[in-house]
Amino acid sequence: MATTQYLSNPALKINGVDLTDQCTNAVVTFTKEQLENTAFGDSARKFTAGLQNNTITVTLYQSYAAGETEASIYSLVGTNVDVIVATTTAALTTPTATAPKYELVQAYLASHTPINASLGELSTIDLVFAGGALTKSVA
Amino acid sequence: MYIIISPRLGTPGDEYIPENGVNIDALLDGGLISTDSVKKSSKVKSEPKEQ
Repeated sequence: MATTQYLSNPALKINGVDLTDQCTNAVVTFTKEQLENTAFGDSARKFTAGLQNNTITVTLYQSYAAGETEASIYSLVGTNVDVIVATTTAALTTPTATAPKYELVQAYLASHTPINASLGELSTIDLVFAGGALTKSVA
Repeated sequence: MYIIISPRLGTPGDEYIPENGVNIDALLDGGLISTDSVKKSSKVKSEPKEQ
Protein backbone atom coordinates (compact mmCIF):
# COMPACT_ATOMS: atom_id res chain seq x y z
CA MET A 1 0.00 0.00 0.00
CA ALA A 2 1.34 3.40 -0.92
CA THR A 3 2.37 5.49 2.07
CA THR A 4 3.09 8.69 0.16
CA GLN A 5 1.72 10.18 -2.99
CA TYR A 6 3.44 12.19 -5.67
CA LEU A 7 1.22 14.24 -7.93
CA SER A 8 3.14 14.50 -11.16
CA ASN A 9 4.09 18.11 -11.67
CA PRO A 10 7.76 18.23 -12.60
CA ALA A 11 9.72 21.17 -13.95
CA LEU A 12 11.77 21.11 -17.14
CA LYS A 13 14.76 23.04 -18.44
CA ILE A 14 16.28 22.40 -21.84
CA ASN A 15 19.50 24.24 -22.64
CA GLY A 16 18.81 26.53 -19.69
CA VAL A 17 15.35 27.46 -21.01
CA ASP A 18 12.43 26.82 -18.65
CA LEU A 19 9.77 25.03 -20.69
CA THR A 20 7.75 23.69 -17.77
CA ASP A 21 4.53 25.38 -18.85
CA GLN A 22 4.73 23.77 -22.31
CA CYS A 23 5.46 20.26 -21.02
CA THR A 24 2.86 17.55 -20.50
CA ASN A 25 5.05 14.48 -20.14
CA ALA A 26 8.59 13.80 -18.96
CA VAL A 27 10.32 10.46 -18.53
CA VAL A 28 13.84 10.11 -17.17
CA THR A 29 15.33 6.68 -17.81
CA PHE A 30 18.53 5.82 -15.97
CA THR A 31 20.22 2.81 -17.53
CA LYS A 32 23.49 1.01 -17.01
CA GLU A 33 23.98 -1.53 -19.73
CA GLN A 34 24.20 -5.08 -18.49
CA LEU A 35 27.29 -6.98 -19.56
CA GLU A 36 27.34 -10.70 -19.12
CA ASN A 37 30.26 -12.10 -17.17
CA THR A 38 29.07 -15.63 -16.69
CA ALA A 39 31.90 -18.15 -16.80
CA PHE A 40 32.38 -21.91 -16.67
CA GLY A 41 31.62 -23.16 -13.22
CA ASP A 42 28.71 -20.77 -12.69
CA SER A 43 25.28 -22.26 -12.19
CA ALA A 44 23.38 -19.15 -13.28
CA ARG A 45 23.96 -16.24 -15.60
CA LYS A 46 25.65 -13.20 -14.07
CA PHE A 47 25.87 -9.62 -15.20
CA THR A 48 27.89 -6.53 -14.41
CA ALA A 49 27.29 -2.87 -15.13
CA GLY A 50 28.52 -1.34 -18.36
CA LEU A 51 28.21 2.17 -19.72
CA GLN A 52 25.32 4.44 -18.84
CA ASN A 53 22.74 4.63 -21.61
CA ASN A 54 20.31 7.28 -20.40
CA THR A 55 17.42 9.07 -22.03
CA ILE A 56 15.00 11.84 -21.21
CA THR A 57 11.81 11.87 -23.23
CA VAL A 58 9.50 14.87 -23.11
CA THR A 59 6.27 15.96 -24.75
CA LEU A 60 5.82 19.67 -25.34
CA TYR A 61 3.04 21.77 -26.76
CA GLN A 62 4.25 23.28 -29.99
CA SER A 63 4.30 27.06 -30.21
CA TYR A 64 5.83 29.26 -32.87
CA ALA A 65 5.57 32.46 -30.82
CA ALA A 66 8.72 34.38 -29.94
CA GLY A 67 10.79 32.64 -27.29
CA GLU A 68 8.53 29.60 -27.14
CA THR A 69 8.92 25.93 -28.03
CA GLU A 70 10.04 26.14 -31.65
CA ALA A 71 12.47 28.95 -30.99
CA SER A 72 13.97 27.01 -28.09
CA ILE A 73 14.26 23.61 -29.78
CA TYR A 74 14.87 23.97 -33.51
CA SER A 75 18.57 24.90 -33.34
CA LEU A 76 19.32 22.13 -30.85
CA VAL A 77 18.85 19.29 -33.35
CA GLY A 78 22.14 17.52 -33.95
CA THR A 79 23.77 19.01 -30.89
CA ASN A 80 24.51 18.00 -27.33
CA VAL A 81 22.58 19.81 -24.66
CA ASP A 82 21.93 19.75 -20.91
CA VAL A 83 18.41 18.75 -19.86
CA ILE A 84 17.08 19.10 -16.32
CA VAL A 85 13.93 17.50 -14.94
CA ALA A 86 13.07 18.33 -11.34
CA THR A 87 10.27 16.86 -9.28
CA THR A 88 8.95 20.34 -8.50
CA THR A 89 9.54 23.86 -9.76
CA ALA A 90 11.32 24.74 -6.53
CA ALA A 91 13.63 21.76 -6.96
CA LEU A 92 15.08 23.31 -10.12
CA THR A 93 17.02 25.71 -7.92
CA THR A 94 16.92 24.03 -4.51
CA PRO A 95 16.56 20.26 -4.77
CA THR A 96 16.12 18.22 -1.61
CA ALA A 97 16.17 14.56 -0.64
CA THR A 98 12.40 14.45 -1.00
CA ALA A 99 12.34 16.64 -4.12
CA PRO A 100 15.33 15.66 -6.23
CA LYS A 101 16.55 17.07 -9.51
CA TYR A 102 17.90 15.01 -12.42
CA GLU A 103 20.26 16.44 -15.00
CA LEU A 104 21.32 14.74 -18.18
CA VAL A 105 24.58 16.37 -19.19
CA GLN A 106 25.34 16.82 -22.88
CA ALA A 107 22.60 14.56 -24.19
CA TYR A 108 22.15 14.31 -27.94
CA LEU A 109 18.97 15.46 -29.70
CA ALA A 110 18.73 13.57 -32.97
CA SER A 111 15.39 14.76 -34.28
CA HIS A 112 12.49 17.16 -33.88
CA THR A 113 9.11 17.40 -35.61
CA PRO A 114 8.55 21.10 -36.33
CA ILE A 115 5.07 20.30 -37.65
CA ASN A 116 2.96 17.62 -36.00
CA ALA A 117 -0.57 18.68 -36.78
CA SER A 118 -3.84 16.83 -36.36
CA LEU A 119 -7.30 18.22 -37.03
CA GLY A 120 -8.93 19.57 -33.90
CA GLU A 121 -6.00 18.95 -31.60
CA LEU A 122 -3.32 21.07 -30.02
CA SER A 123 0.00 20.38 -31.69
CA THR A 124 2.59 18.60 -29.57
CA ILE A 125 6.13 17.41 -30.17
CA ASP A 126 8.00 14.48 -28.66
CA LEU A 127 11.72 14.85 -28.02
CA VAL A 128 14.21 12.17 -27.05
CA PHE A 129 17.49 13.29 -25.49
CA ALA A 130 19.87 10.36 -25.53
CA GLY A 131 23.26 9.72 -24.04
CA GLY A 132 25.12 11.80 -21.53
CA ALA A 133 25.74 11.20 -17.86
CA LEU A 134 22.81 11.44 -15.47
CA THR A 135 23.30 13.18 -12.15
CA LYS A 136 20.84 13.29 -9.28
CA SER A 137 20.91 16.33 -6.99
CA VAL A 138 19.35 16.28 -3.54
CA ALA A 139 20.88 19.44 -2.10
CA MET B 1 27.85 40.26 -23.28
CA TYR B 2 24.44 38.69 -23.77
CA ILE B 3 21.08 40.25 -22.96
CA ILE B 4 18.02 38.22 -21.96
CA ILE B 5 15.07 38.59 -24.32
CA SER B 6 12.87 35.66 -23.30
CA PRO B 7 11.41 35.56 -19.78
CA ARG B 8 12.02 31.82 -19.87
CA LEU B 9 15.68 32.59 -19.20
CA GLY B 10 15.23 35.36 -16.65
CA THR B 11 14.28 39.01 -16.56
CA PRO B 12 14.28 40.52 -20.07
CA GLY B 13 16.90 43.23 -20.37
CA ASP B 14 19.19 41.73 -17.75
CA GLU B 15 22.60 40.40 -18.63
CA TYR B 16 22.57 36.70 -19.43
CA ILE B 17 25.40 34.76 -17.86
CA PRO B 18 25.47 31.31 -19.47
CA GLU B 19 25.92 28.23 -17.33
CA ASN B 20 28.29 25.45 -18.30
CA GLY B 21 26.99 23.32 -21.16
CA VAL B 22 24.56 25.88 -22.55
CA ASN B 23 24.42 26.09 -26.34
CA ILE B 24 24.70 29.85 -26.84
CA ASP B 25 24.31 29.66 -30.61
CA ALA B 26 20.92 27.95 -30.25
CA LEU B 27 19.74 30.66 -27.85
CA LEU B 28 20.88 33.35 -30.27
CA ASP B 29 19.31 31.60 -33.27
CA GLY B 30 16.03 31.26 -31.40
CA GLY B 31 16.04 34.91 -30.39
CA LEU B 32 15.99 34.11 -26.69
CA ILE B 33 19.07 36.24 -26.06
CA SER B 34 20.89 38.92 -28.00
CA THR B 35 24.38 40.26 -28.15
CA ASP B 36 23.19 43.84 -27.95
CA SER B 37 24.91 45.79 -25.26
CA VAL B 38 22.93 47.82 -22.77
CA LYS B 39 22.65 51.40 -23.94
CA LYS B 40 24.29 53.91 -21.64
CA SER B 41 23.88 57.65 -21.60
CA SER B 42 26.42 59.51 -23.65
CA LYS B 43 29.21 61.09 -21.67
CA VAL B 44 30.94 62.65 -24.66
CA LYS B 45 31.56 66.31 -24.09
CA SER B 46 30.57 68.69 -26.81
CA GLU B 47 33.31 70.46 -28.66
CA PRO B 48 34.29 73.84 -27.33
CA LYS B 49 33.08 76.67 -29.47
CA GLU B 50 35.71 78.42 -31.53
CA GLN B 51 36.15 82.10 -30.86
